[in-house]
Amino acid sequence: MNTCYNNQLEKNDIETLADVGIIMEEDKKSGSFIMRDYEQLFVHSQIEGLEILPIADALDKYDWLRKKYYCKAVPHDKLEKLSQINDDIKPQGFFIHVHKGTKVRFPFNAAIYMSKENIHQNVHNVVILDDDTELHLITGCATQHSINSGTHLAISEQYIGKNSKLTSTMIHSWGSNVKVIPRSGTIVDEGGSFENNYICLRTAKDINSNPQTWLNGSGSSAKYLTIILCSEGSKINTGGDVYLNGQNTTAELAHRAVCTGGQINQTGLLIGNALCKAHVDCAGMLIDAGQDGYIESIPGLKALHPEAQMSHEASLGKIAPEQVEYLQSRGMDETEAISLLIRGFLGADVAGLGPELDARIAEIAELAGHGEE
Amino acid sequence: MKQQNVLELRELCVQVDGKELLHNINLTIPSGEVHAIFGLNGSGKTSLMMAIMGYAKYEVTNGQILFEGKDITDMDITERSRLGISIAQQRPPTISGVKLRDVINYTSTHNSRKLSDIDRIIKDAHMENLIDRDINRGLSGGEIKRSELLQLLVLQPKFSMLDEPDSGVDVESLGLVGELINKLFSSNSIRPAKRKAGIIITHSGNMLNHINIDKAHVMLNGRIGCTGNPHIILERISKCGYEECIRCMQEGA
Ligand SMILES: Nc1ncnc2c1ncn2[C@@H]1O[C@H](COP(=O)(O)OP(=O)(O)OP(=O)(O)O)[C@@H](O)[C@H]1O
Ligand SMILES: [Mg+2]
Repeated sequence: MNTCYNNQLEKNDIETLADVGIIMEEDKKSGSFIMRDYEQLFVHSQIEGLEILPIADALDKYDWLRKKYYCKAVPHDKLEKLSQINDDIKPQGFFIHVHKGTKVRFPFNAAIYMSKENIHQNVHNVVILDDDTELHLITGCATQHSINSGTHLAISEQYIGKNSKLTSTMIHSWGSNVKVIPRSGTIVDEGGSFENNYICLRTAKDINSNPQTWLNGSGSSAKYLTIILCSEGSKINTGGDVYLNGQNTTAELAHRAVCTGGQINQTGLLIGNALCKAHVDCAGMLIDAGQDGYIESIPGLKALHPEAQMSHEASLGKIAPEQVEYLQSRGMDETEAISLLIRGFLGADVAGLGPELDARIAEIAELAGHGEE
Repeated sequence: MKQQNVLELRELCVQVDGKELLHNINLTIPSGEVHAIFGLNGSGKTSLMMAIMGYAKYEVTNGQILFEGKDITDMDITERSRLGISIAQQRPPTISGVKLRDVINYTSTHNSRKLSDIDRIIKDAHMENLIDRDINRGLSGGEIKRSELLQLLVLQPKFSMLDEPDSGVDVESLGLVGELINKLFSSNSIRPAKRKAGIIITHSGNMLNHINIDKAHVMLNGRIGCTGNPHIILERISKCGYEECIRCMQEGA
């Protein structure tokens, strides 16, 4: 494996990665993992206490990994139905281990992308945060702009130790005919926190994601922000179950979807097993969504403990003309006004995502302005 | 040099949801003049301003709107705003997710205004604490008025329409609001006696104490009933009520 991956990446590789928040400047990140098609190009950490290995190597090296962690947060039996799972295949993906007491200041960048047609990626990532650690993980998954077909199956397991904090920002941008199946499981110990941002800029034909989080430790917390910009021909299922098992646990789920065609199902289920506080909020906006486009929002609550305090809200609508006109009266043109409103609706200010998110919002705003006439 | 009219409404009819609200309005605002509009609730004052600004709901079915001699009747709001027309609304919308600062940043960049100037304007309007809030979300009545005025102060429009800038403002803040309005109308031109033009809708004489109003118009059932000296008209209204105005208008007709 090369330590100077810049040599191996071509201009369109770098552009693809930039779209999904992956930067090339080594001094602004704590390390990188880059996988193109079936090839793990680069695995590197710059920080002591932040260990990174290809998952297959890690499984060979550490017996305890398979015993204690591997497939424990995402059980294999749940995955057997997915045809791609096959024990004979050597797994690909990354293993990240943040050693006790290490607080990683710069984000770790992981990129997994497809540069050819009909690639079937099968990835299994495991992230372990020991007690008293911190990590911001940015995972960018994409197909290069000209690529339309392929499969991306990704299992992500996260184990967050006591008083540790994992921020995971996952940015996706797909060709229109790609099938995407992310499976994610996170287990959080006492006082730990998990912040999960999922942003899908360009939707695939089919995305089915239902991350599971277990807040087992007392005082642990989870926060989800899911943003889907869904275009015609896509079918998206986004959810997220959070089990609030520990005392004084908190969870907040926010789903935001803008639909310009395509079909979106937003779910999100909170299960309160203890004294806890949780809120789920689904909001969607339809813009020029055509005949078949829809958003269905079903936030769910399940309380199994008398002290579980849980609430949900859901709202679907369109852009309010009086808000557009108000901003126009301040000098903005219609597209600028709608862009600002969409940005406000999404509540998105995700670092490193400026230009591509702006570009997508501008595209949608153009559609919206067009659709109103 | 011939004095130009900033705004001229000719035989303007406006309807909302198929119902005519404004009937044959003729109104002229010469450059440098600030006019007041009085009138009962529901008489059409706000509708008039919204129609001048170009809100789509207020559909012009007859007549013309001229700005600096140019017909703007078919222009959209953006175009009108960029010409220098502006409104501080009576009841502006709440916009979740969009900060007052976003709008201020947009206008100050487009007008290439100095950051230090903007900071001073924000401070003068006592808006430092509200600038990072969502537009009008959870703001008190008086705060909304100041937020609207602040945006206009940054825009520096040639022509400002202020829809009840004083209503809901506490006695102590009235002076501040008056000051901000005077700043809005003040012109940087070398002739300090000259100021910018505008219209103010108000129900009370308070505004007259703070701002020099050149003329007042009384709006009655979607028509301009009478025009004259603002102090005299207001005195009449407070003594005899609008009934007297209605009688007077009917006699005139
Ligand atoms: N957007 C609208 N949709 C429906 N009706 C409207 C709309 N705007 C105004 N109207 C109606 O038109 C009439 C005039 O309203 P307008 O707001 O112009 O009155 P106003 O003179 O500003 O009153 P106030 O002093 O209470 O502010 C009212 O009867 C009002 O209900
Ligand atoms: Mg009004």
